[in-house]
Amino acid sequence: MTDKNDLFDKIAASRAALPEDTFEKGKAAEEGGCGVTGFIASLPVGGRHIFEPSVQMHNRGNGKGGGIAAVGMVAEDLGVSPDILDNDYMLQVALLDPKAAGRVEKKCIEPYLEIHQASKVPTVDDYRDIKGLEVKPPDVNRYFVRVKEDALSRFITENRLGGLDRRAAEDEFIYQNSYRLNHKFYASLGEKQAFVLSHGRNLMILKIVGYAELVAKYYLLDNFRAHGWIAHQRYPTKGRVWHPGGAHPFIGLNEALVHNGDFANYHAITEYLREFNISPQFLTDTEVSVLLFDLWSRGFGYPLEYIIEAIAPTTEHDFDRLPVARQAIYRRIQQSHLHASPDGPWFFIIARNNAARKEFQLIGITDTAMLRPQVFAIQNGEAQIGLICSEKQAIDATLQSLAREDSRFGPIADRYWNARGGSSSDGGAFIFTVKDGTDGAKTLTCTNKFGEPVGAESKRVEPAAIKSSSGKAAEVKIKEALANPEAIALKEFCRKNIAGWDYAALRHFCAGLADEASGNDTIRATAVNVLTYINDIRLPLGNKKRSLVLQTVRESLAGIFAAIPEISKKSTGTYKRIDWATRNDLRAPEGNEKILVINAREFPPEGDDCDARLIVAAYQFGWKQFIAYGYRGQRFCGSGLGAGSDGVRIDVYDASGDYLASGIDGLEIYVHANAQDQVGQIMKRGKLAIYGDVGQTFMYGAKGGEVYIMGNAAGRPLINAVGRPRVVINGSCLDYLAESFMAGDPLNGGGFVIVNGVTFDDDGNITEQELPYPGSNLFSLASGGAIYLRDPHRKTSDEQLNGGEFAPLSEKDWQLILPYLEENERLFGIKISDLLTVNGLKKDYQEVYRKVQVAKLEVLTASTARPSPKYYAGVYPDGEDADE
Amino acid sequence: MTEKTVLPEVKVTPSRYRNPIGKYVVRRSAQCISCGKCAELCPYGVHLRYEGYSQPVRPLDYKCVGPKCQANDFYCVKNCPQQALSVAVNPIIETLGDYRWPAEMILGHWYMAETGELPYIDLEYSLGYSGGGFDKMRFRIPDPKDYLDIPDEEIDTSICLNKRQDGRPERVLSLPCYSGGMSFGSTALPVLVARARAAGKLDTLTCTGEGGYPDAFVPYKDNIITQVATGLFGVREETIQRAPVVEFKYAQGAKPGLGGHLLGDKVTAEVAKIRETVVGSSLFSPFPFHSVYSVEDHKKHLDWIKEINPRALVSVKVSTPTDCDMVAVGSYYAGTNIIHFDGKYGGTGAAPDISKKNIAMPIEYAIPKVHRFLLNEGVRDELCFMASGGIRNAVDVAKAIALGADGAVIGTAELVALECIRCGNCESGRGCARSIATTDPELGCEIGEEWAEQRLVNMYTAWRKQWCEILRRYGMRSIRELVGRSDLLVHLDYLDEEERQEYQPTPKKKLVL
Repeated sequence: MTDKNDLFDKIAASRAALPEDTFEKGKAAEEGGCGVTGFIASLPVGGRHIFEPSVQMHNRGNGKGGGIAAVGMVAEDLGVSPDILDNDYMLQVALLDPKAAGRVEKKCIEPYLEIHQASKVPTVDDYRDIKGLEVKPPDVNRYFVRVKEDALSRFITENRLGGLDRRAAEDEFIYQNSYRLNHKFYASLGEKQAFVLSHGRNLMILKIVGYAELVAKYYLLDNFRAHGWIAHQRYPTKGRVWHPGGAHPFIGLNEALVHNGDFANYHAITEYLREFNISPQFLTDTEVSVLLFDLWSRGFGYPLEYIIEAIAPTTEHDFDRLPVARQAIYRRIQQSHLHASPDGPWFFIIARNNAARKEFQLIGITDTAMLRPQVFAIQNGEAQIGLICSEKQAIDATLQSLAREDSRFGPIADRYWNARGGSSSDGGAFIFTVKDGTDGAKTLTCTNKFGEPVGAESKRVEPAAIKSSSGKAAEVKIKEALANPEAIALKEFCRKNIAGWDYAALRHFCAGLADEASGNDTIRATAVNVLTYINDIRLPLGNKKRSLVLQTVRESLAGIFAAIPEISKKSTGTYKRIDWATRNDLRAPEGNEKILVINAREFPPEGDDCDARLIVAAYQFGWKQFIAYGYRGQRFCGSGLGAGSDGVRIDVYDASGDYLASGIDGLEIYVHANAQDQVGQIMKRGKLAIYGDVGQTFMYGAKGGEVYIMGNAAGRPLINAVGRPRVVINGSCLDYLAESFMAGDPLNGGGFVIVNGVTFDDDGNITEQELPYPGSNLFSLASGGAIYLRDPHRKTSDEQLNGGEFAPLSEKDWQLILPYLEENERLFGIKISDLLTVNGLKKDYQEVYRKVQVAKLEVLTASTARPSPKYYAGVYPDGEDADE
Repeated sequence: MTEKTVLPEVKVTPSRYRNPIGKYVVRRSAQCISCGKCAELCPYGVHLRYEGYSQPVRPLDYKCVGPKCQANDFYCVKNCPQQALSVAVNPIIETLGDYRWPAEMILGHWYMAETGELPYIDLEYSLGYSGGGFDKMRFRIPDPKDYLDIPDEEIDTSICLNKRQDGRPERVLSLPCYSGGMSFGSTALPVLVARARAAGKLDTLTCTGEGGYPDAFVPYKDNIITQVATGLFGVREETIQRAPVVEFKYAQGAKPGLGGHLLGDKVTAEVAKIRETVVGSSLFSPFPFHSVYSVEDHKKHLDWIKEINPRALVSVKVSTPTDCDMVAVGSYYAGTNIIHFDGKYGGTGAAPDISKKNIAMPIEYAIPKVHRFLLNEGVRDELCFMASGGIRNAVDVAKAIALGADGAVIGTAELVALECIRCGNCESGRGCARSIATTDPELGCEIGEEWAEQRLVNMYTAWRKQWCEILRRYGMRSIRELVGRSDLLVHLDYLDEEERQEYQPTPKKKLVL
């Protein structure tokens, strides 16, 4: 150990000789905003697949900075040998002044580095040919290099690094050399000429002033293959950006980091880094983040778990839940590094080449307060892929883009989840690792912070089984099944039979329904109803993978919707369809017309022309029932109808966006997929059912409404909710549920939240989650309302409450929540009898549910801010001056 | 501007109290024989005598110009045959007010609110004793040649709230001011309604604050900003849809990093009902918007409100952090129409002492910083930039504009017009000595809507006279010409001794606090 510390001291000492940048310290640009996306696959895929998800997150950037990174590239795409790609450093220098190239080479490259290949990164001929590019991206020179033997030996001798592995010394040399280059040609100059984009092994970064996807266009990366890609849309608030030096990703050595958020302690972190002779040159949060990562990883040699702990410390209740041995280590880590832990909202995605272990990694780390949105996803199969994004629709866009070209990918992930930084169960950080498998091909695994594997659906699917038919399809008789067009009967038929079908039978059934639906509104309604049922409810699916079933079902649904006559065409049915092209044909419903089907696909996600405004306009024309599909993150669905929108119903399919149902006052919305962030903000009345998970800050400041969530809620649900919201969450929440809840007396018209803490197994049965409520803060500072928590094993403790108190469930409480559980059963098929069954035994409701109610808090009942608390405790007799 | 400005009618609206506080006290001893001489002589109406009464009524001494009247022939003390009269400085003014709002500024505003005129009494109503900021700034002595001799009606004091040309209305206010958010819960309902009515008369705006939208506001909805603050109390789609402007309150200068906090005492049944909370339980607003932790969230947040109300302008109210310039540009890109910076001197008596005046940047630093940054970014012309936080009077407003703001948001001065004495007990339920900051139904109804409305109209009318005079001196026809003319300001600390002599010195006063 001493040796290692000693060596690190020497490395740090060697950096003292680096020139220090003398410009004004402090952040150059305030920036919080960003959209980040990344994926890593077991196969190398073209750069064009980062295009769609980046486009989807335009509204998270402002086109003034975009960047992408690739890890695990293909040698032939770069025109080098695999040996060079694996072992050489891939030094990419952005030339803000193209004339500087010669000087850069002469000063910083040729004297020290042996160049095995040098080239200019190819670009389109004229940047103005690319729509949206206003600033010419820099020319980039790429050098595959090793440090010259004599230069390295001299470096080792001069800095007494003899004990260091020669490769590690070479890494350090490359790092310091880039620092000097940046100092000379970027940071110290009034006129910035060149800087290093990346210098890692088999790792590449490119960035521009513009949207991220334009990087791929400009540098001709459409067919350029890599296992891992990350992209970043930047939202710098400083205008007039003329060069992309401040854009993400930033490099450590073999890692590229993108970041969404903003640190409050930027200065403290730079001070910390300065202790180790590291000084930032680009003055953004992101740069210091990756410098920290590099310090802890390459400098201190921490394993990834410890690095993550240093970045996102485990605290409070989570810390208490850790094993003692881990607590001891974590305490040390926190003592040493807590002041350098990024404070404030942040979310990192890191692409890393762990060259020593021949692994490519994609790492997502969330902050402990869950202040930034993030979604993780994984898909297993013939090709495997792990994805991390700011928004779910970006994940779907990536998968759709891949699936269009390569049937080994599917458009729907096997699993989507949100993370909670510093959590004791998974650490809130996930690592997708691609490495050589047993049969020569690469395989992808996902692990959490603690190195435990994170599974997707356990069913392994043979590719052949998806395509082949076992002849079961013939047994599924559509016409007979539709003999009774009642949806209920057909649903029952599906529930009973679907497990036995093979993929071909399922496709046959769905396609058959779609065919029959096209001419007949009754059958259309049934078909939509039944397919939606298969989409929504966790049916036992036999040996079929759910994501593949969903793919078939959703394609069929989209087919049915697409076959509905356009609003501009004459027809007599009850359905009408409208899309971006026909939006101006919107009119009042005529004749039998009842249901307006909106294809949201081409609509902008916000603004005067967004689909949410179209719904408002249609509502004002008299439409009351809507089916909206084709979503890819379009926002505000259901908002803007105003008070008294009772009787309106919207069914939402696909990847709906933020602020769905925010402000609704009367209408009903059914979301047949996961919902995103800020759902139901200030919701007043009406009904919302989500057949999936819901994102961050769900129902913030809500006043009422009846809401059912089939899955989990992410962080901060129901903060500052008042009035009478009545909510059932069948999964759990990450943290801060119902902080400052003020929803009156639940037994007397007020609001409450039921948390069931269950999930589904592969066969659609409910199972208990490890903890019904994992967070450290439940019902904090609440002054009204209640939480009804399904916690049969009494795993939730007083320490998690911060103000509330546990109370037994009274008969009145049970009678209050029972109708909501019944509706929950009707909507999601989650039976009350199953909820009341614990370890196979039927229990009484008091044994299963616990009530968290309001405890009288002094801080809330205080009548004036000034007198001491003793005043309220009656210490001062009447008449005595309490102000003293 | 050739159009003549039509001003609302001024009606004299005296104090609610029988014995208003004045700078001077006039005492009448028992020697008085009720001869009526003083009433006859005093041109200010201090002495009133009604026929048929044996004694004159108590002197209206707040109208008295004080001992310096002795130079006049009509000086009552000298002329009283019984020597029954005496005039002296009112000892109360030693205890009234504070360094920023000294007694004379309060009295001056009471006078303006009563009469719509600028006081003739020697009251220093434009400067305080704070020893810095606006109190040390002066308008540069103008060149007499620049003087533009036109009447007030031909001077334009209007500002435009939407300069973006984003298809939303280009709302113009007749004054470079609108009034700041005060919640139902913090302040008595008649006061709030009167503010809205006055805003209607004056063709400007007032703001709901974060306490919901009382039904009593609905008739005045065109002049009411709906505030969306971090607690989201009482914010519903319909309250957003009826508002001409929606204000996002991210922070208050008086307490950056803290949300609103309404103590339990003020949460009466009515307040709890409109906010849909629990009676008697304190209401905390979180310090951030939980849905907004970064600038792209901020944009999304604005987009949401714009989706709900396609006609509304959007205002973003923030405190003044050191990087306020970045905040302004970020908000510009997020699509705001109005950027509103609230400096540290502002705010209520209800803000905690530790944060008040101690955290945010003074507004007079923030304004030029933001103004110049926006200019350099080339977007200054597209934003309406409002400043608040310690902008107490008409001259402060003009100074703020000269520093670079388009206008100012006014809170405290309006309450002073309603006879607030700045005692700072705003947070307690029945603590307000003047029945303004209370939700108690008994105390609250002490103020009449009409009375309060007229007082506000009067005060702003008087302010307009001051603005017009400043503009005339620099040969300007519109207050928009004053924006960013910091060259017209001097700071006493940065003048050489000789030059400093030419300007009114900083008032110095030891106050009994």
